[in-house]
Amino acid sequence: MLRSTEDEAARSDGTQAVCDPVTVEIIRGAIRAVQAEMEALLERTAISAFIREKKDFYTGLFDADGIMAVGSNIPVFGDMTGPIIREFPLETMREGDLYWYNDCYGSRGAVSHSNDQVLLAPVFHQGRRCAFVMCWAHFSDIGGIRAGSISPDATDIFQEGIIVPPTKLIDAGSTNEAALAIFHRNSRFPAQSLGDMRALMAANALGVRRVQEIVARFGADKVADALRQLLARTRDLVRTKLAETFTYGTHRFTDAIDSDGHGHGPFKIRFALTREKAGHEDRFIFDASATDDQSVGPVNFLMNPGIPGMALGLYYLGGDPTQVCNAGGPQALDEVRLREGSLLWPRFPAALGMRGLTMMRVLAGLNGLINVAGGGAPAAHSAYVITLMRGTFRDAAGRQQPFLLSDGIGVGYGARPTADGIDAVYFVAQENYPVEFLEVGYPVRLKRYGIVQDSGGAGRYRGGCGIVREYEILAEEAILAVRIDSVDNPPWGMAGGMSGGSGAVRLNPGCKDERRVAPLSDGTRLKRGDVLRIETGGGGGHGHPFDRPAEAVLEDVRGGFVSLDAARRLYGVAICGETVDETTTTVLRSDRPLTRAFHRKEYVDALT
Amino acid sequence: MPSPRSALAVAVDIGGTFTDVALHDTASGEVWRAKTPSIPSDPSKAFMTGVRLALEQADRKAETLDRVLHGTTVATNMILEGKGARAALVTTSGFRHVLAIGRQDIPRRANLYAWIKPARPVPASRVFEIEERVGAGGNILVPLDEASVIRAAEACRALEVEAVAVCLLHSFANPVNERRTAEMLRDLLPGVAVTASVDVLPVVREYERSLATVLNAVVMPGISSYVGRLERRLVDEAVKAPLLLMQSNGGVAGSATICRAPALTALSGPAAGVVGARDVAAACGIKDIITVDIGGTSADICLIKDGRISLTQQGHVGEWPLPLPMVDMVTIGAGGGSIARVENGMLAVGPQSAGAVPGPAAYGHGGKVATVTDAHVVLGNLPARLLGGRMMLDADAARAVIRDEVAGPMGLTLAQAARGILSILDNHMVGALRVVSVERGHDPRDFVLVPFGGAGPLHGCSLAELLGVRTVMVPPAPGVLCADGLLVADLKAEFSRTLPLAGTIDLDVARAIYRELREMAEQWMDEEQVPPDQRERHQVALLRYHGQGSEIAIPWAGSREEVEAAFAAAHQTLYGFVLDAPIELVTLRVEAIGHMPQPARPVLAPGQGAKAVETHAIHLSDEPATVPMYDRKTLGAGDRFDGPAIVTQLDATTLVKPGWRVTVQPNGALLLTLSDEV
Repeated sequence: MLRSTEDEAARSDGTQAVCDPVTVEIIRGAIRAVQAEMEALLERTAISAFIREKKDFYTGLFDADGIMAVGSNIPVFGDMTGPIIREFPLETMREGDLYWYNDCYGSRGAVSHSNDQVLLAPVFHQGRRCAFVMCWAHFSDIGGIRAGSISPDATDIFQEGIIVPPTKLIDAGSTNEAALAIFHRNSRFPAQSLGDMRALMAANALGVRRVQEIVARFGADKVADALRQLLARTRDLVRTKLAETFTYGTHRFTDAIDSDGHGHGPFKIRFALTREKAGHEDRFIFDASATDDQSVGPVNFLMNPGIPGMALGLYYLGGDPTQVCNAGGPQALDEVRLREGSLLWPRFPAALGMRGLTMMRVLAGLNGLINVAGGGAPAAHSAYVITLMRGTFRDAAGRQQPFLLSDGIGVGYGARPTADGIDAVYFVAQENYPVEFLEVGYPVRLKRYGIVQDSGGAGRYRGGCGIVREYEILAEEAILAVRIDSVDNPPWGMAGGMSGGSGAVRLNPGCKDERRVAPLSDGTRLKRGDVLRIETGGGGGHGHPFDRPAEAVLEDVRGGFVSLDAARRLYGVAICGETVDETTTTVLRSDRPLTRAFHRKEYVDALT
Repeated sequence: MPSPRSALAVAVDIGGTFTDVALHDTASGEVWRAKTPSIPSDPSKAFMTGVRLALEQADRKAETLDRVLHGTTVATNMILEGKGARAALVTTSGFRHVLAIGRQDIPRRANLYAWIKPARPVPASRVFEIEERVGAGGNILVPLDEASVIRAAEACRALEVEAVAVCLLHSFANPVNERRTAEMLRDLLPGVAVTASVDVLPVVREYERSLATVLNAVVMPGISSYVGRLERRLVDEAVKAPLLLMQSNGGVAGSATICRAPALTALSGPAAGVVGARDVAAACGIKDIITVDIGGTSADICLIKDGRISLTQQGHVGEWPLPLPMVDMVTIGAGGGSIARVENGMLAVGPQSAGAVPGPAAYGHGGKVATVTDAHVVLGNLPARLLGGRMMLDADAARAVIRDEVAGPMGLTLAQAARGILSILDNHMVGALRVVSVERGHDPRDFVLVPFGGAGPLHGCSLAELLGVRTVMVPPAPGVLCADGLLVADLKAEFSRTLPLAGTIDLDVARAIYRELREMAEQWMDEEQVPPDQRERHQVALLRYHGQGSEIAIPWAGSREEVEAAFAAAHQTLYGFVLDAPIELVTLRVEAIGHMPQPARPVLAPGQGAKAVETHAIHLSDEPATVPMYDRKTLGAGDRFDGPAIVTQLDATTLVKPGWRVTVQPNGALLLTLSDEV
């Protein structure tokens, strides 16, 4: 169970509120500023494109006991400090310590694939431990079966790079250089590994210094109380909203991923949320134990029990900038039930590298759970797509050089009850590699980078569209891995909205040697001159497509988001030249198709 | 360029509510000021009204003006309000959706469930592809198919666009195709404003460059007609002097430069004030300052070290990144109009603002929300009348909103609630002050704080105390410092070149590029008629460690070793570490400065000892206290008094907190120093 919940209960009798609301707000602003400064330092100094261009890094601040008080706006944080505290009891920690891990199983899913390096440091003021500062970042290569360390081919975690158990990297100011040397020696790109680690350590040190200044300014008791209030505020808000959405009883939703890349699938993810009375209080129980068994391929998502609450919390916080995403989300749930041996709690040493697609499907499933209970969460999104190319190219001097390109490609997000889904985004804070950056740094040339027409699920509010990215290979040779999901089970639409488009990967499209590449696969050989076209999926629609204003459909057609054919067939809008044919549209729309609660390739009452 | 003997300069700063004019006899140092309501529908009207008013006061004729300086937010507002020209974008085949995709991220501070991707300034339906392709490093892979340009021009004509942006892939490395395309479009589309990306922002990353080009195109017709209208009005009034406009980089440029690249003014709003603050500080012998310009809706914060204003390319206009050189400052949504509200038991202040209308409740225009200004009124920090008696404050209305919106819901007294609002605002600004100081490797305690803008001097002491700063300087006319800044601004422009491929410093290549950039700079200064002895150039290199994605600007020292050593030192200062990795040269830049004749500074007559004009009740702590109120007009050089006190003047009010001593400077500035006893 959640350590955070237990600790909260244990402490709730003690401390008095000493921090007034104004000071809480000031401390919250100061912590946000610390985060921004840490992030800016990382972004400006990191060496690998994965961190500094794609920006796959996050920061957080925890209270003196390690409970997350201010996180980032992503629902992928679990209990980050617990793994460290179990190995290194709080009372043994000293000023100048820095802790490190990437051990998924050793951290019970706090980190969920080995590429993510977590650095955590306690903050001391006048000898008293006041907080923890964390930053983590995805390292582009930490050894393993293939360059990039994550591969659809992996079948156990040892193939996914070096595992760092919770480790004291700096002991009261003295760095364990040997541990670093061993780690960097395991990377195929040690200069990137070294540079990124220096940037991460500098960012963490900066965070520690800044939080020390905050504590010195306001006093340790006030800061502790402010953090406690921030937690309580989020928890109370999330519980209130949960009660508004979920009536007493059990609500269920099922979503699915297509495959594990090793011939198995689909895998069903089954969620149930039960609200029951327990004395004067309600109990909220989240249960994912009916989820299918773990996979052979690396799509297992070792889900920290904090994740569902963090995601629900983030949804309920909405866009309110005064609210803080923190452990208050997980604390709002009274119990999280998972089943060992399932896709969401695999047994060691199952492979985890490609857990991203399952994680994204978990988020869509949580949206579904809210929606079946009558809430207003978005329709389903596609899972962001990643490709890895590893091979060799000739540099300007004609020498063969190794390269690794991990290119993340955006997808469409689900439409909302009052707004279209987001077109062409990857995830929170993660950016693309600009074409001009990509072509200068890697042996590829892009032929196309655009929107996939008709990939957004039709609806009153259209699902977001996916992206097409077409590469010409300039490398001598390369091995390609791709990860696309939601091909067989596209992102569902709801309330009349239709499912989003599926992704696809084609090699040499339009040529006689054209072929499809399996959506979750590794080992495809690319040679110089090949053309690789990747199309990513879209998000589900929301509401009946016939209710979408014809002008909005016209603008989508003119912008290349919707085809003329789909406008007519799915939206009932006839377009002639640059204008809407009103008469025909009225006729078309008079024959209104019946809809049902959800749509995945067809309308259904429930997804099972 | 006016002669060094120039005698009369006029500066016009157009704000959201008022247009401020400063007329300056540059020989005698005399200044006349005028204030007139802004006319958003035609700002040039208020411009001329203000100039006429100032000339009448001074009893001078328009034809004797020999410098007309102007700061305008016309471009900024067009972008923020989405009211620019109907524009199209022409781009490389296959890349029509670069703008629509952006950087494919949901912003780090946004919530993925609630975020809506902002509508682009040019929708995908007005983006046209042409056949051509330049490769990485600048080699032409597909020559320009001129027939495709003609087709794009036809499509633009059919959609009746008023402006076209051209941004082709890798044009920063080889602009041939892009320039030819722009040239053809100018011929094919007479009367349509055409912008090529290399003329706006010749740097890598297609989304940001496309966006800058599009924003430039969107504001181009509006700025051209605005500048044209201004010039005609000036000619009608028999003004012979050239019109110079403020740019985002803190310098001015002639109207020809601005009409070519109007986006250069998009971040210029706060720049003139910074230049003015530097000048006032310099007159007091102070070179290291942090400026805080607090207006109605926002606060702009800037650090100046050794009198040098540094530039950044990380600016934003609203949602859009605009990486053009701008004064390195931080803008936050915190000002007199910032709204205080209670949500879930928590008090939040800003970034929403009550704006000019209805504005704070105390202004009596029907404002119903609690604002920062209302908090000041409740505490007595503002006198009952503002603007020399032209505006009365409604203290009852202020008390009512603070009570209903904040004190009541939170269970606080009126004074506690008001102090809480100010405290949150001050801390919000301290965050931004730390960004420009601590985060850039400077200790704020080594700097003098210069608060200005209508609301700045109310917050100077509090901000200084929070930062540990012991000296605060309040300029003579803090509310209209932007107009003063225009009068002392230099002509400025930057010429930069990004290398097609970044690499270790090659001295020969670098020298050759600097030579070309210097020639471009000279040509520009010829065009602006800068006398040879008034020209200044700085050569700057932007460097990074191999693999990094952002650069540090280092003065070009001429030898690789020196430049690399300076880079490593800067990296250590900024980020706390250095790497044993190759250092790459990314961009070379020449900053050109044409010095303008510096006007004589007004000198304040020696004081006869400061005398309070009346007393005033303020709430510094829970108990109200009666403090002296001084009128700035009655103060002379050398006058001294101690806080707590209030200093009033036409354009601003200064709050002197207990423990601070005020000394009036010969140039009229107030120097506030913290006594050691406190």
